[in-house]
Amino acid sequence: MDALARSRGAYVCRSCTRSLRRQWLRAHTYSTAATTPDIYDVVCVGGGPAGLSLLTALRANPATTHLRVALVEAQHLSKVRTWKLPPDRFSNRCSSLTPTSVRFLDSIGAWKHLERDRVQPYHEMQVWDGVTGARIEFDWGLGAAPSADAIEGTTIAYMNENLNLTSGLLKRLDELGGVAVFDGAKVEAITYGPETEELDLRQWPLVHLSSGNQLCARLLVGADGANSPVRSFAGINAPGWDYNRHGVVATLEMEGDGWRGDQVKIAYQRFLPTGPVAMLPLPGRFSTLVWSTTPANAAVLKSLSPKDFVAMVNAAFRLSPTDLTYMHTQEAGQTDEYSWRIQHTPHDPRAVPQEVVAVQEGTIASFPLRLRHADTYIAERVALIGDAAHTIHPLAGQGLNQGQGDVQSLAKTIEYAVTHGQDIGVTMSLEPYLAERYAANHVLLGVCDKLHKLYSASSGPLVPLRSVGLSAVNALSPLKSFLMNRAAGNPLKLF
Amino acid sequence: MRPALRHLPRRAVRPTPPAPRPTLTAPLPSKSRPFTSTPPHNHNHTPSSASVNETEISHFSALASSWWDPHGPSRPLHLMNPLRHDFIQRCLSTSPESTPSSFKLRYLDVGCGGGIFAESAARLPSTQSVTAIDPSPTILAVAREHARRDPALVGSKGRLTYVNTTIEELPLPEERSDRYDVVTLFEVLEHVDYPAAFLDRVGEFVRPGGWLVLSTIARTWMSWFTTKLVAEDVLGMVPRGTHDWEKYVNEDELRGYFAKKGGQWGAPRVMGVVYVPGVGWREVTGSERIGNYFFGVQRLS
Repeated sequence: MDALARSRGAYVCRSCTRSLRRQWLRAHTYSTAATTPDIYDVVCVGGGPAGLSLLTALRANPATTHLRVALVEAQHLSKVRTWKLPPDRFSNRCSSLTPTSVRFLDSIGAWKHLERDRVQPYHEMQVWDGVTGARIEFDWGLGAAPSADAIEGTTIAYMNENLNLTSGLLKRLDELGGVAVFDGAKVEAITYGPETEELDLRQWPLVHLSSGNQLCARLLVGADGANSPVRSFAGINAPGWDYNRHGVVATLEMEGDGWRGDQVKIAYQRFLPTGPVAMLPLPGRFSTLVWSTTPANAAVLKSLSPKDFVAMVNAAFRLSPTDLTYMHTQEAGQTDEYSWRIQHTPHDPRAVPQEVVAVQEGTIASFPLRLRHADTYIAERVALIGDAAHTIHPLAGQGLNQGQGDVQSLAKTIEYAVTHGQDIGVTMSLEPYLAERYAANHVLLGVCDKLHKLYSASSGPLVPLRSVGLSAVNALSPLKSFLMNRAAGNPLKLF
Repeated sequence: MRPALRHLPRRAVRPTPPAPRPTLTAPLPSKSRPFTSTPPHNHNHTPSSASVNETEISHFSALASSWWDPHGPSRPLHLMNPLRHDFIQRCLSTSPESTPSSFKLRYLDVGCGGGIFAESAARLPSTQSVTAIDPSPTILAVAREHARRDPALVGSKGRLTYVNTTIEELPLPEERSDRYDVVTLFEVLEHVDYPAAFLDRVGEFVRPGGWLVLSTIARTWMSWFTTKLVAEDVLGMVPRGTHDWEKYVNEDELRGYFAKKGGQWGAPRVMGVVYVPGVGWREVTGSERIGNYFFGVQRLS
């Protein structure tokens, strides 16, 4: 850490750290140099998209660049730094980045470090009810041959591999420098700091790492995921529920570049009684699949041969829920079953994604879906961001964007505190972050949760009602543009 | 620094001293305050304690334990603190030639209380030093203890120094250029018995080109209604006796005081602020004539 560049007037000066070390040694003569705490203004636990974005935002802003910051990550970051795939191979963990998130990433200088030819903007969404067929089309009314400017202005979101984002953020952070990185280091315990003659750090979190380092934090940021150890340390509960659904992901190769070619790309989502299945465009002939379904169905899908898996995905966007239920009971042979059944299923091929022709090897995976929302995002000298604060149903592709929204807000809150001489760790300084993000996240979590539940019914009074709802939304252009603006992450304006 | 308005339920503080309860039928005190008055000669005040009212000191000492509780009675003061910095920046920016942005500032905070402003000023990268004084040893003990929680404030760099003294007893730096760049007086003036004599003394500590920045409450029907009747008597948000309405100082009285100093001071800058419960402080143009306001004036010679 001594090699770190620091400007004058640093919030925590090096000499304080040194003098604390001396006193700490005096007070604890049994301790060794390896276990003396280092004092930081911000210690961020978790080097995912949220944690890396936050540190990048703080380092890139002249008002906060003098803060001493540290990153703690259990994985070795060299793997992320050197991440590289051939142009025709894509990671199966992709996320939708809204234009708002992209603007933010650009403002902190990270966007240009992503491999841009691996990022796919999309301009249309096709969403329909798998039971009744009621449909809503989200497009910006692009003509047959839209201009490049028109396409740029009508991007709903950008599909991007998560690793492309974290790798780009790391490159930007390396360029900025000044972050003490502790990677490949597990958080073994979080306690409170020491008290010396001169200093009272008994309210400062002290992070003990498996490497033997001890980091004392003015502000400890939990960007450490859904099972956040930082959240547990702060005693913050995160109530929620399991959906008893798994998200099955895969990278798929399609028969072509899409119905509107490589220029205007379309995202598809069909609501099935078991959960929504979504096909999101990647560059060229590739797409990424997110299929929310029951754990039993997910297990079947993962056990199938690549050919049968492809048939099931094609079926999921075309056949009736009854057909699909039957095909999930087959141990094999879905390919033949699909080619027979599709002949007897009337459908408009251009209203569904192009046919899938192959699945990339080793890209089929699944993860359980949960809704969690922490009771608060802040405590004395603690702030939670991203999945540590909330996990959402993936049906609206908002999880990563919510995290970026948190980061933007927290970075702004820290900047305000620093420029007004406030201690950035105390709850008084962190309150604006909580006020700005909690309600906004809560609304989005609730909407996605209700959508999931609404479309989980295959019969009953809700089914015709929801179709009326979708058809009505489709007919009402103001409401549609409202929904599209939400999907694109534009801020909600009440007045 | 003294709490101006506190908006949370009465805490376990000693309600000192019992002030006569105003009633709606009782006539308000006369509107004009003998602002330019100095301590009467027959009074036994020593010059060293001219600004200090013992009752006020004991009253605020009783609040010491809750000073740094973000949800305690001092919450409005904590919320107001960022605006103090905004106002100081606004003042300094009017004369960039006397304080260039690269300049490291020396602050004197008079009546620092628990150190809400003093700590924040000491944390700013643009600060060279902060000297913070208060006559109450109890409150200064709280301030010193709290500063130990931040390595940026204590230790070898030591940008923050607390002194238990009054402005009258604080030695005046002999060289005029050694005096302070910014002298602050937040929520103090309304608790001082003889404001003119007090300001005479405080003004001496400002270097030529430096700023005297203060905040206080105007003496109006509205401030009597909000700070005395509603806050102290009706809702009990503030311990009775926190405010003495008759001591409030109006903005035009301050303007008059500085104008009479024969060109020693520049044209004042003023910012009126209003506390909105649940939201915080908001700048409201013109409200300096109604309630809380900031007042900044540059020393020219």
